[in-house]
Amino acid sequence: MLKKKSFIILTSFLMIFTLMVTGCGGESQDAATESQPLIVAQRSDAVVLDPHANNDQASSRVMRQIYSNLINQNESMELEPGLAESWEAIDELTFEFNLRQGVKFHNGEELTANDVAFTLNRALGSSHVSHIVGAINPDGIVVVDPYTIRIATHEPFAPLLAHLAHTATGILNEKAVTEAGEDYSQSPVGTGPYKLSNWLVGETVELVIFEDYYDEANKAKIEKVVFKAIAEDGNRAIELETGGIDIAYDIIGTDVDRVANHSDLAMVRDMNLSTTYVGFNAEKEPFNDVRVRQAINYAVDMDLIVDVVYLGTGEPSRGPLGGNVWASNQNLKPYGYDVEKAKELMKEAGLENGFKTKIWTNQNQQRIDIAEILQNQLKDINIEAEVSIMDWGAYLDATAAGEHDMFILGWVTVTGDPDYGLYPLFHSKTHGDGGNRTFYTNERVNELLDLARVNVDPAIREAAYIEVQEIVRDEAPWIFTWTGEELTGIRDNVKGFKNHPAGHHKLWSVYFE
Amino acid sequence: MANVNPAMDGKIPQADVKIAKKKRSQWFEVWLRLKKSKAAMVGLAIIVILIFSAIFADFIAPEGIDDQDLDRRFVSPSAEHFMGTDHLGRDIFSRIVYGSRISLQVGFIAVGIAALAGGSLGAIAGYYGGKLDNGIMRAMDILLAIPSILLAISIVAALGPSLANVMIAVGISSMPSYARIVRASVLTIKDQEFVEAAKAIGANDLRIIIKHILPNAMAPIIVQATLGVAGAILSAAGLSFIGLGIQPPNPEWGSMLASGRHYIRDYWHIATFPGLTIMITIFGLNLLGDGLRDALDPRLKN
Repeated sequence: MLKKKSFIILTSFLMIFTLMVTGCGGESQDAATESQPLIVAQRSDAVVLDPHANNDQASSRVMRQIYSNLINQNESMELEPGLAESWEAIDELTFEFNLRQGVKFHNGEELTANDVAFTLNRALGSSHVSHIVGAINPDGIVVVDPYTIRIATHEPFAPLLAHLAHTATGILNEKAVTEAGEDYSQSPVGTGPYKLSNWLVGETVELVIFEDYYDEANKAKIEKVVFKAIAEDGNRAIELETGGIDIAYDIIGTDVDRVANHSDLAMVRDMNLSTTYVGFNAEKEPFNDVRVRQAINYAVDMDLIVDVVYLGTGEPSRGPLGGNVWASNQNLKPYGYDVEKAKELMKEAGLENGFKTKIWTNQNQQRIDIAEILQNQLKDINIEAEVSIMDWGAYLDATAAGEHDMFILGWVTVTGDPDYGLYPLFHSKTHGDGGNRTFYTNERVNELLDLARVNVDPAIREAAYIEVQEIVRDEAPWIFTWTGEELTGIRDNVKGFKNHPAGHHKLWSVYFE
Repeated sequence: MANVNPAMDGKIPQADVKIAKKKRSQWFEVWLRLKKSKAAMVGLAIIVILIFSAIFADFIAPEGIDDQDLDRRFVSPSAEHFMGTDHLGRDIFSRIVYGSRISLQVGFIAVGIAALAGGSLGAIAGYYGGKLDNGIMRAMDILLAIPSILLAISIVAALGPSLANVMIAVGISSMPSYARIVRASVLTIKDQEFVEAAKAIGANDLRIIIKHILPNAMAPIIVQATLGVAGAILSAAGLSFIGLGIQPPNPEWGSMLASGRHYIRDYWHIATFPGLTIMITIFGLNLLGDGLRDALDPRLKN
């Protein structure tokens, strides 16, 4: 009996091992045809297809294909006409938009200003996207005629146009939303180049071409697009290599070279709008002392850490904003790695014997690695750090409540406007859940951020943002860490693909060759 | 031991031998039978090596658990680094040796918690019967209805990830099987004459359970516990793999596996050695558990 059992155990181990080595299957792919679907893999499936029901990257990437916005932001983050043909500021609070005529929704309805008004009012009622539309005054949304709408803000709000290009402000059809009620997310109706055909929640979203797309010249070129969720990072690269998918988003550092050097594949790499940072709880001892925050900045070799952890993808951050955000200050003086200077500052702060602290992060292997190296390097200035890996929900709650010491988190300046990348993170009004999880407060920063938000003169705004970034560098509520990169792997026969810095890439320009 | 197995009758000396000696001889019998099984001996050898490396980790491991050196990352297995170095330039062999401390600690303490809590509940349920029995066992059934790894995940998620909480979570989630086993044994033993005799001379319930019933129910508990250690180590590794277990930089095998898996196509050794270690450990414990089962209950032998 015993022998038999051991034999079975041994055989099963062998089988598991074989499975691991050979990988679990791989769908064979027929030669490219016109009707061949474009299969795109990302880390997780869309959570919702209702722009007001959540605000996450996986959903945005699908919704970008289904919905259109009043204004588009191209790959260089320049504003272009979308559903609005033209717009003008009629006073410092109000913009007037002229809508394109004859635009059809997926359900056959025609787009009117009422749909736009309905969409914005609905967005204002959603907690998920209130930070994107919050500046809009509901009483200031005025339908002038079926093709003209005015949108006013409570206060002058310079980045409004960029916010109207966010996927969260994609235009919905009033009739479709009202008819679908609670189930709207399962039957989204937009004016985009693709419409939903089938959604296997957690696995795949299938989109088919929308024949009546308003922009004739830019109609989708591929009949069918399938978004597939492949959670394991390495598996996306393997699927791409074996031909099971055509485009793989978020290739990880270890796979970048393999994909780039593969004869049938290519890497499309572009810096994006994301940033990763190590934050201090600036309200809590000992991090309320600016010298301690600076000392830690000197004590860690961030360039080396970024190189080790991200394996040459992205680049070490030079400030709170990535290089392709407008008005980002890339000339800030890096702290550099200087343990002696760090020790001096710790001594000045009366902490030459160090202290005990905690570094929190979520279950993200790169952030865990950063935390482990930080923990190791901080020993040099006698700081004994304990690393805690937390569940995402608990992590966000605890950092919003200010229970943390040090933490590692990211931010995406989706709109490409510095207001989005600085106001929520450094203004004292946004402490906690609003985005400022360092609980950093500086009157001058507040003043400048408020000024730049309401002022429409680009020169004044730029000067204000440059100064904010200098103050943030000097007062060190963050250790600037990493600016991310869009790393998309594509099959060689996939043409016309371009990364969008915000991460939600257009797929209707893609074609097979 | 009064209720000696009939199979052992022939080898046990006559009635006037002291009880202590009888006990020793019974365990000696078990050992003799266990020794006959080669598989069990291999299992035992693996476990002894592990315990040895856990105790003497400081002398065996060439380096500490967190001796990062970012200049020597991804070094392949060589004379200097027996199992290579990981993505942060740490010696994998050293980490695995120190990791045995954590894994064995989790394994034994979690099983200890499970056996103690589950065993006492089972003993109470079996001994007193009636509503108490029903109450305890239905509660255990509820626990059994939830897959044990899922239960452990929820407990750690609620308590927060740490070594102690992992042990508690794994312990609680494997408690019901001990309760069942002990209850079943108690039920078969409690009506036997030696228990009645103890009752007649006025021993209280606690004494009867601890002194007279449990020693006679030991065999299945030992088997379950040996196999349980394997399960506990595996659960702890699983919890650490998904980031809910032991916190870095502690070298838990599961978390080493998790952090190495991204590199598996370029640097196989980072994930392979922790994985192999987990596999061999579980294999050893299972072999030993199987052998013990056969040795402790000769009736099972064909």
